[in-house]
Amino acid sequence: MAKSAQSGRGVDAATALYERSGAAAYGMSAEQFANVLDEIVRKYFNLAPNRAPSSISDSAHVSAEQKADFCAALRLEELALARACALGNERAWQDFISRYRQKLHSMALHITRDGAHAAELADSLFADLYGVNARDGVRSSKLVSYTGRGSLEGWLRTVMAQEFINRYRKQKRTVSLEEQTEEGVQFAAATPEPACTSDGLSGRRLEAAIDEALAELSAEDRFTLASYYLDGRTLAEIARMLRLHESSVSRRLDRLATGLRKRILAGLRAQGMSHAQATEALETDVRDMELNLRSRLTQDSGAATFPGSRKVPAQNAGDGSNDQQKP
Amino acid sequence: MTEVPKIVHDRLRAARPERALPEHPDANLLTAFAEQALSVTEREGVLAHLALCGDCRDVIALALPAADIVAAPMAAEGEAVRATAAPARAEINRLTARRFAWPSLRWAALAAGIAVVASVLLLRPGKLNQALPPSAKPQVATTAQPASGPQIASSAAASPPTDQSAVLAKTEEPQAKFALRPSKKIRAGQMVTPSHQAEHGTLLAENKAENKKDSGPAAMLSPAPTTGGRASAAPASPGATETVEVSSAAVAVEVAPSAEDSLMARNETPAIEKAKPAPPEMKVNEQQQTQAAFVVLTPAGSQGGNAMPTAKPAAPPSPTSARNITWTIAAGALQRSLDSGQSWQNALRADHPLLCYASHENDVWTGGQAGTLFHSADSGVTWVQVQPSIKGQQLSSDITHIDVRGPAEIAVFTNNHEIWRSADGGKTWDKK
Repeated sequence: MAKSAQSGRGVDAATALYERSGAAAYGMSAEQFANVLDEIVRKYFNLAPNRAPSSISDSAHVSAEQKADFCAALRLEELALARACALGNERAWQDFISRYRQKLHSMALHITRDGAHAAELADSLFADLYGVNARDGVRSSKLVSYTGRGSLEGWLRTVMAQEFINRYRKQKRTVSLEEQTEEGVQFAAATPEPACTSDGLSGRRLEAAIDEALAELSAEDRFTLASYYLDGRTLAEIARMLRLHESSVSRRLDRLATGLRKRILAGLRAQGMSHAQATEALETDVRDMELNLRSRLTQDSGAATFPGSRKVPAQNAGDGSNDQQKP
Repeated sequence: MTEVPKIVHDRLRAARPERALPEHPDANLLTAFAEQALSVTEREGVLAHLALCGDCRDVIALALPAADIVAAPMAAEGEAVRATAAPARAEINRLTARRFAWPSLRWAALAAGIAVVASVLLLRPGKLNQALPPSAKPQVATTAQPASGPQIASSAAASPPTDQSAVLAKTEEPQAKFALRPSKKIRAGQMVTPSHQAEHGTLLAENKAENKKDSGPAAMLSPAPTTGGRASAAPASPGATETVEVSSAAVAVEVAPSAEDSLMARNETPAIEKAKPAPPEMKVNEQQQTQAAFVVLTPAGSQGGNAMPTAKPAAPPSPTSARNITWTIAAGALQRSLDSGQSWQNALRADHPLLCYASHENDVWTGGQAGTLFHSADSGVTWVQVQPSIKGQQLSSDITHIDVRGPAEIAVFTNNHEIWRSADGGKTWDKK
């Protein structure tokens, strides 16, 4: 009895979600839409045989309430639109085009900062979304992979950014020697070796102390450090990524730098180094860093990895082993 | 900025993603991360990956929306903001800095001081009525006791003979020595009272300074005993909160910039008031007053019966337009952040939950269930409810998406797949 009441509530909830999504107007049946939701739930709750890379829970036991809450939080209307487009519904495509066609070009321009490349990128993505490329004779639209976790517009921006990075890599791999000469790549210094990493026992101790100090940081702190020090992102960019104020990011970075230094020194002392030795190791490294930064800045002028980035090209350019996965 | 030793850079870089998390989060998770739509567990997982994976960090950075930010952020809390490379942004920073430069502050402080003295002198009990012109006398009175919280002063809008429109205006007032006509304020179907008391001196100074400088809508909205302020005041009686309403069909909300600043500075929710039919005898007076004051209402094009008000604030652009405003929809309300998302405040809450928004420079549109559609032409300082209609048919479906392509060009998408378009800022509509 209780079970039937529960299933009745489940049907009601599914109907409500279906109505909220407006999928009927795109010719999607309630069953089709329920299947889409089920597929998404399976993906994010790790219920499918092939587990998603990052999911809500590793537990296979997910309550109906959890699923209902999860589904209710999805962008149902945009999900219905995307999936109906993927199914080839003409009306859905009309809606999609009227909503996003122009925005795709704006997004591409924002990402590439170049009109010609922007048009190419936007058209290419649009073709992928439309499903020009057939797989096994079946037209496959990229919109199938949209799950409604974020806005459709945000998802389009993310997919476009991934595509841009992949293209950039491919382009970098195929750049001619003449172009490399023009860019001055042949004069670029080799990627500097990590300093103080293998200088005998003290180097290993230093590495261990740093790794330990970094491991103690939260994921968000490590993300902040990597964005600022490795990627060269501005405070404003990091703030927007984390939805914080710039001053908060600035304070956090100061706190992290100071805290890291203290922890590393403490770690080194715990490993038997004197305070003077530990400080000397770090200070020596700071001097290395200053020289290194100067040389890197000289090499890096006008050759940022991506628009708005001050990352050193040698870190990723030309390295195709880590291409972004397409969704 | 405190630097970290280079070996820390190296160790950060040495932590390759392949070691910890072999697969990249898909675009859905990255999007949800950027939009703060992940659960805590998921967010931690994505952050752990992002901390190690420079490629995904690049994707997140490249996919940041460009349109949300309308201006440069403030240098808050006295902390130096690191300069960015964008020249436009640097220019905005420069202008912002200039706006708060000492000469400006000096004059603002002087104006505020004069305004405080003038208001204290003119608002003393027994003196006020003498100071008022005969036509405005019945509209302002003193209260016997201070109000219990920040008071809302309102101003009425003109109502053309062929139309029924309403404009409500509110401004925050220090603990008042006078009160305007008390009436029911409605925000999302409930009474609205600012969450905490205003500080008398500060608010008064802010309001008066703004009024002095602008001599526009803000001045008209202020209940200070200037001509405009008096004219906008409604008949008085003791009370804590006041609104003035005129007209019946549509709703418009006007918030004085000075009050807006005060509210935002305190992270309060600006009250949104809804129009109610006004007594006929008030209409005449208020029509005259408002025409001279700050808002002009126009009927909705050729559809005579279906009035669609559009408010045209006569004021110069609000100070908030030069700030960093980020918008989002949360819990059925439109929220805004003036500090790049560090803190959020409700910018608009309607009777029906809001579902989407779109912004273009200072123009902000937000829509929700049952055809709820609001427009602000000044970054959310004032709001006007827009009722799209064509040949007597009104938009009543849920608005799920809004596309703003220019200052006057808007497309509204509904859950029953209608597309309503307007090329004149919402005055006339075309349905597809």
